[in-house]
Amino acid sequence: MPIVLAPVNTELRILRVIAEEKVKKHLENLGVVVNGTVTVLSSSGGAVVCKIKEGRVALDRDVSTKILVTPA
Amino acid sequence: MIKVALAGNPNSGKTTLFNGLTGSTAHVGNWPGVTVDKKEGVYKKCAEPISVVDLPGIYSLSPYTPEEVIARNYIIDEKPDCVINIVDATNLERNLYLSTQIMEIDVPFVIALNMMDAVEKKGDRIDAAKLEEKLGVPVVAISALKGAGLNVLMERVYKASKEKRVGKTVLESGALAHLIRDVKIALAGQGVENPLFHAVKLAEEDELEVKAHKDTVKMVEEFKDTFKDDTFGDDFEALIADARYKYISENFSSVVTKKDKEKFASTKSDKADRVLTHKIWGIPIFLLVLFAVFHLTFSEDFLYLGKIFGFASLEDLGVDTEAFGGQLLACFYDGAVFSPGVIINNLWNDIIVEYAFGWLIGLIEGSSMAGWAIGLINDGVIEGLKAVLSFLPPILTLFLFFSILEDSGYMARIAFILDRMFRKFGLSGRAFLPMIMGFGCSVPAMINTRTLADDKERAATIRVIPFFSCGAKLPILTAVAGAVVAYFSVGNADLITYGMYLLGIVTAILAVLFMRNTSLKGETPPFIMELPAYHAPQFKNLMIHLWDKTKHFVKKAFTIIVASTIVIWVLSHFSFTWAFLEDEQVNQSILAQLSMLVQPIFTPLGFGSQLGTYGWVFIVAAISGLIAKENVIATFATLAACLAAMAGSGVNLAGLDIEAEEGIDAVQAMISATGIGIPGLIAFIAFNMTTIPCFAAVGTAKAELMNNKSYKGTLIFWIVSSFLVASAVYTIGSWWWTAFIWAAAIALTTWCIISYNKRANEKLNDGKLK
Repeated sequence: MPIVLAPVNTELRILRVIAEEKVKKHLENLGVVVNGTVTVLSSSGGAVVCKIKEGRVALDRDVSTKILVTPA
Repeated sequence: MIKVALAGNPNSGKTTLFNGLTGSTAHVGNWPGVTVDKKEGVYKKCAEPISVVDLPGIYSLSPYTPEEVIARNYIIDEKPDCVINIVDATNLERNLYLSTQIMEIDVPFVIALNMMDAVEKKGDRIDAAKLEEKLGVPVVAISALKGAGLNVLMERVYKASKEKRVGKTVLESGALAHLIRDVKIALAGQGVENPLFHAVKLAEEDELEVKAHKDTVKMVEEFKDTFKDDTFGDDFEALIADARYKYISENFSSVVTKKDKEKFASTKSDKADRVLTHKIWGIPIFLLVLFAVFHLTFSEDFLYLGKIFGFASLEDLGVDTEAFGGQLLACFYDGAVFSPGVIINNLWNDIIVEYAFGWLIGLIEGSSMAGWAIGLINDGVIEGLKAVLSFLPPILTLFLFFSILEDSGYMARIAFILDRMFRKFGLSGRAFLPMIMGFGCSVPAMINTRTLADDKERAATIRVIPFFSCGAKLPILTAVAGAVVAYFSVGNADLITYGMYLLGIVTAILAVLFMRNTSLKGETPPFIMELPAYHAPQFKNLMIHLWDKTKHFVKKAFTIIVASTIVIWVLSHFSFTWAFLEDEQVNQSILAQLSMLVQPIFTPLGFGSQLGTYGWVFIVAAISGLIAKENVIATFATLAACLAAMAGSGVNLAGLDIEAEEGIDAVQAMISATGIGIPGLIAFIAFNMTTIPCFAAVGTAKAELMNNKSYKGTLIFWIVSSFLVASAVYTIGSWWWTAFIWAAAIALTTWCIISYNKRANEKLNDGKLK
C-alpha cells in the first residue's frame, strides 16, 4: 500500500519507490531504499511525517503516494 | 596554509562547528555562479594555521542539487588537504551514507562525531574507537555546541593532512564489485584522478560522469545488458544506495549500544510536532507566532499595555521632548510602551543616526563650499545614506526573529504545514516565509528566498515580494487615504489601507499564477524535507548571522544605493541649463521636465495628462520613491511648498500644515492643485505598491537573481504589473462598468494560456510517441 494509507507508529518495510529519477535519488539519500524500514509518525490530508533511520522527514501528498510499503 | 573542507548533512551542527573553529576570522562570500553562501575562516590553534571552508549541507555527492555539485567539485577540483566529515551521532546510519562516498575519494578524511552528548543523554552509547577501527579513518567525538573536543579534532586533522590517503569503497563485495574494479582500472589507465570515486559514480550512471567519460560509460552499459537483480532490475543507482546502507547497518550498528531495546520511542520533538504540525491547530499556532514576531518588531503599543491601561502621552506628562533626556525617553515610551523592535529602531534613528549625521550636516553647512556642493553632500549623499541606514534596525530585528525560528527547527514545520495551500499556486510551502517577511521589508525577504531550491520558483517569489506592502509604503497609504477622507469627506481611512494591502496580496497571487503558467513554467518541486529535532537557538550563531547580514547591507548602502540617490538628487536640483535650483524651484528641474514629458503615459492610471499643468507632481513623487518609499510623501511636502510659492497655481495653504509628518495635508494641497479624483488617488497608491521597489530592494533582487536576463525581466515585470493594476483601479473606480471589460480580458488571457499550454503539452506527448 502507499505510505499515505499506512497505519501510524507501526514499522513498515519499503517495497517500491515509483518516483522519477531525481526524486527517487533524493529519497535514497535520505534513507528511503527498497527493503529499508520506515515508521509513519503522523499523516494528514495526504501529507506524511515519517521516521526514516533516526531522522524525521516530511513528504507531500504526491511523493507519499509513490512510496509503497508493507508492515514489517 | 593547510586547506581543510567541512562536509556533512544539513542540521548536523556543521555551522556551529565552523563558528567554533574559526571564530571571528570567518567571512562570507558566494560560490561562483550560485547564491549559496561560501564561508571561509582560519583555525589558529595548531602548529600551522589551517584554513577551513564550510561546504554546503548535503546528503550525498550526487549532482542533483547545486549544493551537492559545489561540495563535490570542491573536494575533487580544489583538492583540500583534508576533509572533516561532521556526523550527527543521533542519526548515525544516515550520516555515514555520505561518509561512505567521501571515503571513495583520494583525500585525507577525518570524521567528527557530533552530538555525542545528546546520545549519552538518551542513555545510549557509541564506541568511537571501534568505529574508527571499522572505517579505517580517524573518528573524533566532539560537541560543537559546547566546543568540546575541537582541539583533539584539529590535531588529528593536522596529522591526517600530512599523509596521503587512497580511496576505499564499501562496495567491494557487492554484485557490482567487478564492474567498479574494471571501470576503475580503465579510468586509472586514462590518467583520471580519483579513479575509484569516478568509477562508482559512473556505475551509478551519474549525469556528470556520463558526460565526462563518454567512452568508458560503454563498459557500464555492456555490463548492464548481462545483469539482472531480483529486486532492483538494472537500476544500478538504487542497487548501490541499497548496498551502502546494508554495509552501514551490518558493520557499523554494532558500535551503538541502545538503552531502549524497543524499536520505536517517540522523542520530545515528536511530541511537540504532534501539536505544532497538527491538522487543525498547526496553522492557527503558526499565525500566532507570526503575529508575535511582527508585534515585537513593529508595534508601537507593546502587548497593548497603552490601550489597556490608558497611559498618558509624554506631552501630557509635561516632558520636554526637545531636550535630550526627553528624546531618549520618547524612544521607549509615548503614551504606550514600544515593542523591542521599535525601541531599537528609535534609538538608532532618533538618537544615533540623527545626532551623528546632524553633526556632519552642520559641519558641512558651516563650511565655505559652494551652495550646490553643500546641497549635494547634505541632501543628496547624507540624506540618502540616512534613508538607507534607517532600514537597518527593522531588517535586523526581523532577521533575528526569523533566524531564531530557523535555528530552533520550527521553520521547517511552517514550510510543511503551508505546503498544501501553496501548491495550488504553483509554489512550495517554503515560499511563504519570504513573502510574509515582505510585509516588514523586501530586502531580508528577498535574501530569504535562498531556501527555495528551484530557480524559477525563486524568481517568481522575488518578483511578487514587493506586492506585500512593506513598512516604508505604509506612510503613502495612510497619507493618501487620510487625505481622501479629509478632502472628499467620504469613506474610512483604515478601510482604504486594509483594502490596499488586500489588493497587493491578490495581485501577488494572480502574478504568481500567471508566471508559473507562462514565462516561469515548471513543476513545483516535490516537498521532501527533513524536520530537524527542535533545539534552543545558539546565541553565538545568531549574532554571527546578524553580523554577516549587517556587513552585506552596509556595503550595498555605500555603493549602489548612494550612487542612485545622487543621480536622483542631481536630476531634481539642476535645470537643463545646469543651473542649481533651490528645493522650491523643483518644477524647473530636469526631473520635473522629464516627468512632464512622460505625463501622458500615466493618463490611463488617473494621474497623467488629465491633471493639467501640475499633474507631473505625482510622477516626480513616484520617481523619488525609487530611493526609498518614504520619499513619496516627503516629496509632496516639498512640492506643495513650491506650488504655493508660484502665483496662479491655485494652491491655498491656509489651514494646512504641509510639514506635518503624516503628510495628509501635503496630499490635500496636491489634490487642490491638480483636481485629481478619488480613483486617481487610489490608483496612485496601487501604482506605488506594485511598481519597482526602492533601490535597496532592487539591488537585493539583482544580487539574488544572479542572472542579468532574469533581473531585467523582473524590472519589466514590475513596470508592467504596476501599470496594469493602477489603470484597472482607475478605470473601474471611474466607470464601474469597465470592471466587465477587465474581467473579460482576464478570462480571455486565462483561456489563451490554458489552451496554448494544452496544445504545447499535446505536441510534446506526440513527439514522445513518435
